[in-house]
Formats: sequence, C-alpha cells, structure tokens
Amino acid sequence: MDFLQPSTMAEALAAKAEHPGAVPIAGGTDVMVEMNFDKHRPPALLDVTRVSELTEWGMDDGRVRLGAGVSYTRIIDELGDRLPGLAMASRTVGSPQIRNRGTVGGNLGAASPAGDAHPALLAADAEIELQSTAGTRVVKAHEFYLGVKRNAARRDELITAIVLTPPSGPQQFCKIGTRNAMVISVAAFGLALHPDRRVVRTGIGSVAPTPRRAYAAEEFLAAELESAGLWESRAELPTALAREFGEKVKAAGAPIDDVRGTAAYRLHSLAVMARRAVTWAWTDYRTARGT
Amino acid sequence: MTAITTRAVGSSPTRIEGTAKVTGAARYSTEQDHLGDVAYLWPVPATIAKGRVEAVDSDAVAGLPGVLAVLTPDNAPRLETPDDAELAVLQDHEVSYRGQFVAAVVATSLETAREAAASLHITYAEVPHDSELTENHPKLSKPEKVNPAFPTDTEDGDVDAALAAAAVTVDATYRTPPVHNNPMEPHASLAVWLGHELTLYDSLQGAFAAQQALAKLFALPPASVHVINEHVGGGFGSKGTVRLGAVLAAMAAREVGRPVKVVLGRQHMFTVVGYRTPTIQRVRLGADADGQLTAIEHAAIEQTSTVLEFAEQTTVATRIMYAAGSRRTSHRLAALDVPTPRWMRAPGECPGMFALESAMDELAVATGVDPVEIRIRNEPDVEPESGKPFSSRNLVACLREGAERFGWAARDPRPGVRRDGRWLVGTGVAASTYPSYVGPSTASAAAEPGGGFVVRISAADIGTGARTVLTQIAADALRVRVEEVRVEIGDSSFGQAALAGGSMGTASWGWAVTRAGERLRAALDEHGGDGRLEVHVDTAEEVKARTGFAYHAFGAQYAEARVDLDTGEVRVPRLLGVFGVGRIVNPRTARSQLIGGMTMGLSMALHEEGVLDPAFGDYVNHDFAGYHVAAAADVADIDAVWVDEQDEHVNPLGVKGIGEIGIVGTAAAVANAVFHATGVRVRDLPIRLDKLLGGLPG
Ligand SMILES: Cc1cc2nc3c(=O)[nH]c(=O)nc-3n(C[C@H](O)[C@H](O)[C@H](O)COP(=O)(O)OP(=O)(O)OC[C@H]3O[C@@H](n4cnc5c(N)ncnc54)[C@H](O)[C@@H]3O)c2cc1C
Repeated sequence: MDFLQPSTMAEALAAKAEHPGAVPIAGGTDVMVEMNFDKHRPPALLDVTRVSELTEWGMDDGRVRLGAGVSYTRIIDELGDRLPGLAMASRTVGSPQIRNRGTVGGNLGAASPAGDAHPALLAADAEIELQSTAGTRVVKAHEFYLGVKRNAARRDELITAIVLTPPSGPQQFCKIGTRNAMVISVAAFGLALHPDRRVVRTGIGSVAPTPRRAYAAEEFLAAELESAGLWESRAELPTALAREFGEKVKAAGAPIDDVRGTAAYRLHSLAVMARRAVTWAWTDYRTARGT
Repeated sequence: MTAITTRAVGSSPTRIEGTAKVTGAARYSTEQDHLGDVAYLWPVPATIAKGRVEAVDSDAVAGLPGVLAVLTPDNAPRLETPDDAELAVLQDHEVSYRGQFVAAVVATSLETAREAAASLHITYAEVPHDSELTENHPKLSKPEKVNPAFPTDTEDGDVDAALAAAAVTVDATYRTPPVHNNPMEPHASLAVWLGHELTLYDSLQGAFAAQQALAKLFALPPASVHVINEHVGGGFGSKGTVRLGAVLAAMAAREVGRPVKVVLGRQHMFTVVGYRTPTIQRVRLGADADGQLTAIEHAAIEQTSTVLEFAEQTTVATRIMYAAGSRRTSHRLAALDVPTPRWMRAPGECPGMFALESAMDELAVATGVDPVEIRIRNEPDVEPESGKPFSSRNLVACLREGAERFGWAARDPRPGVRRDGRWLVGTGVAASTYPSYVGPSTASAAAEPGGGFVVRISAADIGTGARTVLTQIAADALRVRVEEVRVEIGDSSFGQAALAGGSMGTASWGWAVTRAGERLRAALDEHGGDGRLEVHVDTAEEVKARTGFAYHAFGAQYAEARVDLDTGEVRVPRLLGVFGVGRIVNPRTARSQLIGGMTMGLSMALHEEGVLDPAFGDYVNHDFAGYHVAAAADVADIDAVWVDEQDEHVNPLGVKGIGEIGIVGTAAAVANAVFHATGVRVRDLPIRLDKLLGGLPG
C-alpha cells in the first residue's frame, strides 16, 4: 500500500488526480477502523493532514470557511460562538481522543447516516467545497448525501472546506445514544432558526439511509411563525405548535431496527428531540438581544 | 532489621508495581524483549456453526514469504486428552461452534500470520445448527452438578403447599443475556522450548494450575514446564485456567523451533475465552401479609456448548440468602451449538441475584413492606439449607448502614411519582453475597544476605493489588516494615497455590504468606536473626481443617436512577455499596475492587448484551463498537464502604474475598430503582431505553 503525503493543496489535488483510488485520510478515526476490520484495502492512502488550507478556518465576508481537516476539539474551542450548533454536535462525538483526531471533512467523507456533524450542517444550510485539478465546485449539504455512506464527491475530488453563513438565530443539537459517551447516535436532530430569512432548517440523523432535512416540518413551522407574527412579537411558542413540529419531523424519518434501537423507538425519540429543540431554540430567540 | 509493632495490614500503600505499569516498564507476558527470533501465530476461526472440516488448503499459504507453518486438524501435533475438552485444539475435524479455532498460521511477523490466516481456504461439511436458548428447549436436561461442585437441585419443605397457602405471592421470569469477558489485556501467550523444557509466559490467573495442565497435555513431567505470569491485565475468570492460546503457542513453538506468541484479537474474545451464559430464571416467592417468606423457588435455565459442559450455579445464592419455611432450587442446561460459556466475575451469584433481588423488590411492592425492611425480616439465624452457623454475616448491618448513608428513610414507596424537570427519579436496593472460598497454597520466605526479606508464592496479580496486599501481610507476619519485604509472585516454580479466582486469592495466599512469615520470624528469633534462612510452608492441612461454619460475604447496594420521561434514557447518578467482607487489608485497593465490580454491574444493568444471530449461531456485536460497556461518563457518584467485621473462623487473617461481590446485586438495585422511578419493571437485562418507553407515565 502506498502512502502519499502531499504538503500543499496543489500536490494533494495532483495526487488525487493521479491516484483516484487513493483513500484520503484525515484523523483516520473511520479509515483506520475500517482497515483494521479489513473492510477494504485501498491501493494507497492520501494523508491530507499536512495541507494547511485544510486545517485552518477563517472568515470571509461574513461567511465561515472551515477547512475540512479542522478537528472537533478546535471547532468546540474556536467556533463555539459562531457555529454553536456544529459545536454542540462536536461535543457529542466519541471521546476526547476521537475529538482531537476526528474532523468534519472525515465525517462528510464517511457520510454515515449516524455522523453527528450532518444534522448541524444541514440545519445551518452549509455548503461543501470540493476541489480537483479541474477546479472547485460547491455542493449544498442537502444535496451532498447520496446514499448509505455515499456522497457527492467524485473520485478525483477532495473535500476541502465547509462554507456557511452562521445562522442568524439560535441553534440546537440533540442526540440519543445508549450510553453517556463514546456512542453512535440512535437518533440525532439539528435545528437552526434563521430569523433574517424567516426560515427554519433541520437535519435528522440515524433515522434514514442518509442524513436529511425534514422539509415539511421546516415549512410548516416557518409558515406558522410567520402567520402568527411570532418572529416579530417573540411571544411564547404555543406548546401545540412545538408538538406538531415534532410529529412532522418524525414523519421525515425512515429508520430501521438494529442492535442500538428499534425503528419505533427512533421515530419516537425524533419527535421528542424536535419538540424540545424548538422549545429551547425559541426560548433563546425570545431572550436574545439584537438579531 | 528493625522489629516493629505497627501493622501494615489496614493501611493503604499504593500499588507496588504501579509506577512500572504506568511508565511501561512492567513487562506483560508477551513483552519478553530478551527473546529473539519470535514467531507469531494467528488462529483461524470456523465460519460455520456445526459440521466438519473437510479440507484445509494449506499449500496455498504455506509457500508465502514469512509463513513458517500452517497447523490444521490434519497435521497438528497430537496432545494427551485434556480434562478441559476445549484445550484439545486442532485434535479433530469437528466444528462445534462458529468461531472455534480450526487452523492456525505461524509466521515471522504478526501481519504475515494474519494475512495468511485470512486467505486460508477451508472446506466444510456443514450441518444445521441449533444455537438459540429457549424456555422449552428440547435439549434441556439436568446436569450432574453445577459449577464448581454444587448439587444441581435442592428441595427443603413443601414449596407447592406453601405457595398455595401464601397470603402474597410473586411469580416472575427474569432473563439475562450473554455477557462477554473483556479484560483490557486479551489472552496473551508466549511459549519457548529448550529441548524438552517448556517455558510459557502467559496472562493467566494461576501459574501453578497451568503448569499442571500443560504438563499433562504435552506428556511432560511437571518440572519440565515453567509458567510465568508476572503481570496480568485483568481476567474476570476468563484466564482462570489454561486457555487454548497457550496450547497453540506451545504446540507451534515446538513445530517451528522458535518462541511463538499468540495474542488473541478482541473479536476472538467474544468466542473462545468463555462468556456468561444467558439465563432464563423463574422465581416464585410466597409470603405472609407482613412479607415473611414461606416459600422460595428459583429455577434457572442456561446453556453450554457441546464441547464442554459448564453448568453455571445460578441459583446457589438463593440457598443461603433468606429464611423461609420451604425452598426449591434447580438448574436445567441445554448443550447448544454455541461457544462454551465459562467463568465471568461471580458466575452464578451475579445473574442469580439479579433474579432473586428483583423478586424481593416485587414482593416488597406486593406486601407494601419497605424493601430494606423486608430483607431484614427474612434474615436467617443459620445458613438456611445446611443449618450451619455463619462464620459471620452482616447483611443487616450493611442494609442499615447503607440506608443511613444513602438517605433511604424518607423514601416514598410509590413508583413513578418523583420528577425533577423531565426526569423521573427513583431509588432501589438489593443485597449482595459471595462465598468466602479458600484454597491450599504453599509459600516460602527467606532472609536475604544483604538484609530484607523475600517471600515467594505462585500468586497472580491480575490488576487487583495482590502483590501489594501480600507484601503488607508478609511485613506484619515478619514484624518488619513493608519496605523490607519483597514479594515475588507469578511463577509456577514457587509451588502450588490457589488461583486468582473465586475471590480467594488474598484469603488463600495471605494464609500461606502469614505462616511463612511467622515461621521465618520464629526461626530468626531462635537463631539470633542472622544467616541465610529460608522456610517453606503449605497450608493444605490447615485449610482442610476449616469446617463447621458457612463462609460468605454479604453486602447491600443502593442505586438512584433517573429516567427521561420522554425518551426513556436511564442515568444512574448514585451507586453506594456497603459490604461486610471481613478485614480489609488495603482500603485503597479494596475500594477499587468493589467499585470496579459495581461498575461492571451497572454496565450489565444498562448496556451489555451479546446479540446472537441465530442464522449464523454467533454474536454479531463482537467488538467494542457494537458491544457497549459502561463509559466513564456513565458512572457518576459511586462509592463502596464496609462495616467493621471480625471473623476469626474464616481464615487466620479474617479476610473475605472482595473481587466479585461488587458485581452481585448491582443490576437488581438499578432495575429496582428504575421501577421506583417509572413504575416499569424490566425483567430482562439490559434495561434498554425502548423497553421503558411504552410504560412511562404520561
Ligand atoms: C471510538 C470512536 C467513536 C466515534 N464516535 C463518533 C461519534 O460519536 N459521532 C460521529 O459522528 N462519529 C464518530 N466516530 C466516527 C469518526 O470519528 C467520525 O466520522 C469523524 O468525523 C471522522 O473524521 P476523521 O478525520 O477521523 O476521518 P478519516 O477516518 O480520516 O476519514 C473518514 C472518511 O472521509 C474520507 N476523507 C477524509 N478527509 C477527506 C477529504 N479531505 N476529502 C475527501 N475525503 C476525505 C476518508 O477517505 C474516509 O472515507 C467515532 C469513531 C471512533 C473510532
């Protein structure tokens, strides 16, 4: 097996073009596990950790450009204020060791329905930047996940960054697992309110073949907030509305039974998380100054 | 040398080998750098659950660079028939369970061995298998005895009549899943032959017994086998006797003429080292209106493999726990096409007390008697079945002390009524017990020429602190400071000694070390304290003379459970264990043994479950990604304390074992607390969130 170790973006893209079968390795917390279990034996590994564009984040015209290789630990420490939803999700990943190594780029590369970054990215309307020697393109998060562990990146492309405008309103992330840490989600839910655009965004995890948005629920809630004038009044969120939102989020799920939980449990918990998340987020919105 | 009177026993020195372990200086079994030219063996597990190996295509891999040997049922060296049939590895072509080792590759590197093992093509003749334990399984039968030598069934009085006449009855079936032994260090063996002499470095819980078993297997005089287990990274019983990694290492090392290492992979641990059998247990209790028991029936159903009969003693604790006019206990066993279940921390007591102590809680609810009080009301004067007096029994003191510390007094018995935000809150109690075994042991003690003393015993420190407590015990017997004593353990050449198992290590070894120390002290006093003196002792006679009492440790565990009203998530913010376990030699290491057991009990209550795929006859979640054990974040406020207990009958040191009792009763305490929080009685472990959901109050 070859081990490719580019130190610049240009070298990395050239290497990927030349060896499209090479498997990128960032934190390795998915790649090494799969190799250990002999799930596949790639002809080459492409280490992306030395490419500084991938391991940095910055602001550009109000947008965050988060290098694909920034670790969860750094997201928690450095981006908790700008991207609270993603930071909340990051805090629930694995253990300190996994958070030190693991990256959002890796989560996207693996594209597991249980990946914890996905609901937060979906709710934040994030875009995924993909680069190859042929150029750069940007894919919206909700168009990125194509199937179980399949994503929109082509064989010659690297995931280079996550680009997003920090949501203007409160964000929430909830996850249910069978223990208190080091746990794959039984179900997960991400929510962001975007009062500037008067929209609501969601992301659901572990309840369908891919991470996805609960479109009907988003539209329902946005319409209700609008018609009741709640965005302006910042009045209390009616309990029935929160509950109905939960039911509509649940309707977006299509889970399976497995050793971690039954399908019925997953759907139930999704409704609970959505109801709670919207209640908390709305409380934050009501008490927030500015925005 | 300074003769002193202060005692080391009862003080809390840190582990003697602690620094060596955390700095990596301690050498575990396969880390013998002085041996060059080591080869590596990787086993090949069967991919069918039942049938025969028809052919192994060794030729295809035998020629690969680095491959030294391919061991198969056709060419593996013949062994003498072992007492433990699991050890007859590669001796025939039968496949008795999926994952059984059917071949092995030896190579110059681990990677090569693994690669070759993975590509080895094996042809099987497969026949249908039967791997699922059920209540009415046609293969259920009555074993001759249960582990290690208890009667299978017992009966005392007329249970049926008492149940029929009882004012209150409980009749419930409890289930525990397969639970897997996963010490941090997997089984690790390194075998070296020098002519006809075998040296085995191994992660075993008893070097002497291993020496005897290997000598028999390889038809050698015991003196030609040397087993060393200086440091062991946990065992829980799964390393209690020689396991097949050691046999493969010895076999292969002789074949290839170089030292051979066998370190099992984590996934092998779920199959070949022994796990806790699943159980289906029916408990029937009859009581008067005040909760005074008139009848106890406890019937257990469990599994074994077709290779080896292991009949777990699931209901034996019920024979000693509570006074009752009548009592019946039984065990039924089905030999299935499954890996062999074996010892795992408190085999028998642990799953059995989950059932009994859950049933006692149900009886408390049914009679309206407080769960602590109902246990106190049924406290026996003597051991119920044998009629023997207890050497000491402090269950009531533990229950009371625990109730006091835990704040039990104000408890409202109604289930499902306490809320803290969206959390339902409840508390539960359960009793613990474990026998105080002791085994004969030999030890030696010598005054060293340059000053100081060395004590040798074939004990094993499997992470418990055994080396440290034996040093304390030796220092007291010699009447010197601990710094003057060096205790050497982990070597079969030190002679016969009990296993680090059955919670009998400190009692058994401590007894021998005490006698050795006393005898050397006497000899020194007589000879004026100089010169090279060495004494040898054997406690066999003394140990045999221990009779007349029932010897057990007891305890009480209290748990608080919080259950999310909407999602069924369970948290256990508080666990308290109070134990009556004789004299505590080292409070620091004792506490860590006890809370370690309780943590494992919590893990059993909430997480651990080997999920069988009946189509393949194997456990699907055979690694730590799929098989969850409690994480540090699951354990909040956990504590273990002990009541003052002086027992002059149990052994000269007055100690009772503490390695296993901590796991006994924990799962019931948690399940009882979950019931109190929610009103949902979970009778099949683990308490998963989806089992609670349907029944939570609105
Ligand atoms: C013990 C443990 C606990 C875990 N717990 C969680 C958890 O709680 N939640 C969770 O979501 N995940 C969890 N994971 C999974 C894993 O940590 C995450 O998916 C993590 O985000 C992967 O990031 P990484 O940088 O380590 O990825 P890697 O393993 O390096 O890569 C993962 C995939 O992404 C691809 N890839 C990486 N970088 C790029 C790139 N720049 N361009 C294109 N493709 C790329 C790789 O080729 C591979 O397919 C856990 C893993 C372990 C081992």
